[in-house]
Amino acid sequence: MTPSSFASPERFPEAAAPLEEACAPLPRDMGAAVAFALSRRPAADERPVLLALPRSWVGEYGRPYAPGLTGPAPLLVRASTTAEVLWALEQGLRSGAVSLALGAAGDATLAQSRRLEFAARHGGAVGVTLSRRLDGLSAARRRWRVSVLASRGDAWDRRAPGPARLQAELARSRYERPGAWILEQDDETHRLRLADRLAGVRPAAIAGTGAPSGLAA
Amino acid sequence: MSVRRRSLERARRPASPPEPALDPRQPFALTLKNSRGALVLHALNPAARTAGLRRGQSQADARAMLPQLLCQPADPAADARALQALAAWAERWSPSVSLDPSPDGLEGLFLDVTGAGHLFGGEAALLKQIRDQLAEAGISARAAAAPTPGAAWALARWSDPEGHAPVVGQARLRERLAELPVEALRLDATTRAQARRFGLKRIGDLYPMPRAGLARRFRGAGGVELVRRLDQALGHEGEALTPVRPPARYRAWQAFAEPLGDLAGIEARLPDLAADLAQALEKDGQGARGLTLTGFRTDGRTTALSIRTGRPGREPAVWLRLFREAGLGRLDLGFGVDALMLAAETVEPMAARQVAIEGEAAARQAEDLADLVDRLSARLGEDRVLTPEAMDSWTPERAERWRPALAGPAAPFEAEPGRRPILLFDPPEPVEAIAELPDGAPARFTWRRLSRRVIRADGPERLSPEWWRPADRLRGRTRDYYRVEDEAGGRYWLFREGLYGREYGGGEDERAPSWWMHGVLP
Repeated sequence: MTPSSFASPERFPEAAAPLEEACAPLPRDMGAAVAFALSRRPAADERPVLLALPRSWVGEYGRPYAPGLTGPAPLLVRASTTAEVLWALEQGLRSGAVSLALGAAGDATLAQSRRLEFAARHGGAVGVTLSRRLDGLSAARRRWRVSVLASRGDAWDRRAPGPARLQAELARSRYERPGAWILEQDDETHRLRLADRLAGVRPAAIAGTGAPSGLAA
Repeated sequence: MSVRRRSLERARRPASPPEPALDPRQPFALTLKNSRGALVLHALNPAARTAGLRRGQSQADARAMLPQLLCQPADPAADARALQALAAWAERWSPSVSLDPSPDGLEGLFLDVTGAGHLFGGEAALLKQIRDQLAEAGISARAAAAPTPGAAWALARWSDPEGHAPVVGQARLRERLAELPVEALRLDATTRAQARRFGLKRIGDLYPMPRAGLARRFRGAGGVELVRRLDQALGHEGEALTPVRPPARYRAWQAFAEPLGDLAGIEARLPDLAADLAQALEKDGQGARGLTLTGFRTDGRTTALSIRTGRPGREPAVWLRLFREAGLGRLDLGFGVDALMLAAETVEPMAARQVAIEGEAAARQAEDLADLVDRLSARLGEDRVLTPEAMDSWTPERAERWRPALAGPAAPFEAEPGRRPILLFDPPEPVEAIAELPDGAPARFTWRRLSRRVIRADGPERLSPEWWRPADRLRGRTRDYYRVEDEAGGRYWLFREGLYGREYGGGEDERAPSWWMHGVLP
């Protein structure tokens, strides 16, 4: 369903569902998708984060870099197959030892993602899968399409890139109507927050317009 | 106690290619090149020995005496490996097994069975069991038990191979050694030859000789060696043995009348072993951080599976789950195992664990996390479950290191999320860039075959090479880092390696500064 401009003055869903999916439609969006996925961790939850990434993914998009990550020290599982990623995610979610488990398991089947969802409910954690396309079936309660946006420039130096900006488009959800929101990295807490709230732009005005997926990377 | 192993074992099980079993009546020998490059016989089977051939004879002579002799090249390295494997297998009888690397095909194993005999129904029964089980595994062996390693060595090699394995106590030690030849004292060839020349044929001949005179009579250190070996055999002088593996202080053990051939059987026995070990650990207030399950196969080999945990523990249920994660299927049971051993190699006191009390929830959460790390590491391997660690360097790819999470919980990390990339390319990827000289930000760059126009750029952030490294490629040159944003909104972390002017003057043999992609900012 295409988000209509009247459909999403709804609130941005801050609280994450047990299982969500973050899709990076283009390769250049993957950094933003990872940042968005990590931001789905409840702010007050001090449990660490589990990252399960296959070798091929790390070769393509780079390895997680600890000085650039927010929050408590992560636990990284270097998997070699998608099956290992899914297994590690399930173990992590079920154990209740992590606040968020993030894995590059985009092509998980419906049954696999349902299993992850049960595990996440059991452990009181949030699971996020990273994918490149949203066409398959998934048990993820919210499926996001994340794309980078040009920043508004540094506050003191317009020639320098400012805080990270990205568009999170809720493509499918079981709870609310689809919509799109622009998020910006806070320069103090380094968490993503709604950019519109400060800029005074109604989110509805942006929905469906920003970063159409036809652009070349 | 000493076990002698014939190096002809290889003859019965040739490594390659598969051959029909050798007829025991067929004379067979393994050959080796001697120092002059000639092929000599290294090991013989009984048929070849009865035909009058002996070790050290040249192959040409032997072939002349016995044209139907079959020969194959010997592989001393494989023999040494086989002996090492056999030593691990022999741990079923004693936790302390040492290799005896005697030359001239006299190698064997020393087992310290002090105080262990009664477990097997006495020392004679133990020796019989050793010989029977080795024979079943296709290894002909001789065994002897004596109060000193030297005496056991001598008795194992110079007693009647057909009769009962000799068990000699302290009382009859002197008397039994007296009838053996001097060769049984582990002497080198020159000393042996000299002793023969002096008419000293039996060990008993040495008893009445005055010590000082005996030591002086030989050329070089031979006499001193002779006296030392004699004292060691008689127990007047100690002899230290170095076990192949340090004996584990805590181990649980089960032997079966019928060999277990299936994993289900092993899995069924494991809880008992784990409970036994946990009980022993609990008694001493210890916890295990590393466990090895060893299966003793009927064919003289061992198969082992190890697990490690991040914190000391003694809960059998946790161990069982970790063994299952690590994959009991990896145990190669062969024709079956007839004994199982669970040993705790790394042991730590458990008292320190109870200190942190400030939050029940926090403690439980840390425990959950340690359990998770243990489980992930057991299945995937320690080196694939990682946690970051800050390193003492300002070069970005060396400022952090992902180390195994099993080694301990991660320390808090000093992060600067806005200024550092979220994903790092390691190693950096080459980029073609158009930039103003000498140190302007790039205006365009081509990365992964796509040309991008830079809209915004911030930099340079200048990072000098690590001065403590030698000045070569490893150290590299100064890096100028730029945060750039292209027209599509992608934010990247680029750097130019090398400075125009100071590090590059435009000379023929100099490398021009180059551009690299190092990471993606969110």
